[in-house]
Amino acid sequence: MTWIESLTLNSPSGFWNPIVWLAFLIVFALIGYLIYSRGNRSYKPNTDQVKPFLSGNEVEDVEEIRVRAGDIYWGFIEALKGYYNALMRMHTGDVRDYILWYLGLGAVILFVLVGGV
Amino acid sequence: MGKLTNFKRSLWVFHASGGSCNACDIEIIAALTPRYDVERFGIKLVGSPRHADVLLVTGAIPRDFADKLRRIYEQMPDPKAVVVIGCCGTSGGVFYDSYNIAGPIDEIIPVDVYVPGCPPRPEAIIDGVVKAWLKIEKLEKELEGKKG
Repeated sequence: MTWIESLTLNSPSGFWNPIVWLAFLIVFALIGYLIYSRGNRSYKPNTDQVKPFLSGNEVEDVEEIRVRAGDIYWGFIEALKGYYNALMRMHTGDVRDYILWYLGLGAVILFVLVGGV
Repeated sequence: MGKLTNFKRSLWVFHASGGSCNACDIEIIAALTPRYDVERFGIKLVGSPRHADVLLVTGAIPRDFADKLRRIYEQMPDPKAVVVIGCCGTSGGVFYDSYNIAGPIDEIIPVDVYVPGCPPRPEAIIDGVVKAWLKIEKLEKELEGKKG
């Protein structure tokens, strides 16, 4: 058994060999490079030339125009605005705030459960 | 007039209409109809400036359209040429000095060929596009020179 054969993994549906995989990768990378090298080199990156055409209108940031999954809850959030506004103020994204809430609420629970004894 | 030398590819044209009354636009369409049939020379209207070699602009440009026209011009790949069709785009025409006009087109983007007329005949438009083709061939050679 040669070293290449020793790397081959046979299965009922075919075989897998990293050397063959690598050979294919090199061939396809070369083909890709050939196509790439025939491209227009005079294009100007970071200008409108590389942006999609939207009838001459400015392409807005994707974040501004996409429909987010959270938008499904728009009705709830609008109806319970008072509640959500208070929650959102508390939801700072700072882990230290959450730990403080955890410790504070933990202390209250402990006080309720064992404080009176 | 110079000669087209290499005919390396078809010439794709993008048409942007500013504040045109559509007379020039109709004459551009006439150039595509069987009587003139510019597509047989490979001159074709395309739907995006990203695919275009030449930009045809008609009409005086209203203020709101000026930035859009600049963007369309920016989006065209190099080498490119701009052809202004009709008097309104060339000088402002009857809208000259109007409060809502951003100015003749050459005050907004660089223009290579002017085709005057109200509206110009399709033969004149075809002649303008061929002049733009010559300009592009020249620019292309310059670009190749830079590459080499």
